Amino acid sequence: MTYPDPDDPAHPARPSVRPFLQSGPLSAGGYRPAPQDEQPPAPEQSAALRPFVITSGRTNGADPDIGMETQVTVAPGAGPVRLSPEMRAIVGLCFEPVSVAEISARLRLHLGVTRILVGDLRAAGQLDVHVLDNETPDPETIMRVIRGLRAIT
Amino acid sequence: MDYEQSPDRVVGTAAVGSGGRPKKAPVPVKIIVAGGFGVGKTTTVGAISEISPLTTEAEMTSASVGIDDPGQATMKTTTTIAMDFGVLTIDQTLKLYIFGTPGQSRFAFMWDDLIKGALGALVVVDTNRIDDCYPAVDYFERAGLPFVVGVNTFNGQMSYSLDEVRWALAIREDVPVLSFDARFRGSVRDALLVVLDQALDKAIRQKSSYS
Repeated sequence: MTYPDPDDPAHPARPSVRPFLQSGPLSAGGYRPAPQDEQPPAPEQSAALRPFVITSGRTNGADPDIGMETQVTVAPGAGPVRLSPEMRAIVGLCFEPVSVAEISARLRLHLGVTRILVGDLRAAGQLDVHVLDNETPDPETIMRVIRGLRAIT
Repeated sequence: MDYEQSPDRVVGTAAVGSGGRPKKAPVPVKIIVAGGFGVGKTTTVGAISEISPLTTEAEMTSASVGIDDPGQATMKTTTTIAMDFGVLTIDQTLKLYIFGTPGQSRFAFMWDDLIKGALGALVVVDTNRIDDCYPAVDYFERAGLPFVVGVNTFNGQMSYSLDEVRWALAIREDVPVLSFDARFRGSVRDALLVVLDQALDKAIRQKSSYS
């Protein structure tokens, strides 16, 4: 879907991974707090874990297929693998179909983080992400929504 | 795409979960509820949702700033915004999500993601602060997303008539302007039905232009 966006004339191409992390998150060793030459950004932020630590610093690069309402389920026959606690928690929610937004809300994970982790779990074969064939809803689907909405009181 | 079922599952039926296996995932559709702070977006979502509204937080860091230029890392501002959303199960294969989103233009860069695949939007207006909804109206117009302007009446109080609101917004004639009460399910339902009518019109137009 394309449309003009006059507010945003020169949107920079965003890298998917910070360069120093591309050699591999484990080898880079770039996560530890910076030495004392850098002050913590703000006192009120220091108490909470920065959300994108969980994603090894990636703040974007989420699969554009993974929207807020996209349904996610556990992949049948997914083999046992070692997962981070956040990823385990995500998989644990997906035995019933659940949306990415619900995962984010229930686990109190930021939406961007959730999208990245769901994408990782999909790539790892742990989750099925049910991407819709047609992005724009067809009239029949809309009619069903209208009928369903009319039926509620 | 990858919508295939597990091999031991009959395709095309509303599968009933058994033995802890994943059920067939419903098709999600979504409607956006936009507007300024305090105009009743959360009330609107809560009135129609079958669950009490959930909140998801989106990190509104200017994501690329700290990555491209570490020297500016201390300059960037991080905003966390909360989005409330609700769910309405239409049937076993169809779920309606209603996302409430802040209408300020400074959040507009996240709307691209949000409106992708959306049926339409309800722009909630408080007549005491009409200009709060301008960015949302601007955005939906440009994006070509069907939308409806819904004046939240708060106890039947409206500082301006619907015609005056329409005049102030300078929207096209075919964009409905209606009043509703965000506290009542029936009222929200009727407002959403108008949004869906707009969505249906657009979908039918698109379909006939393809064929």
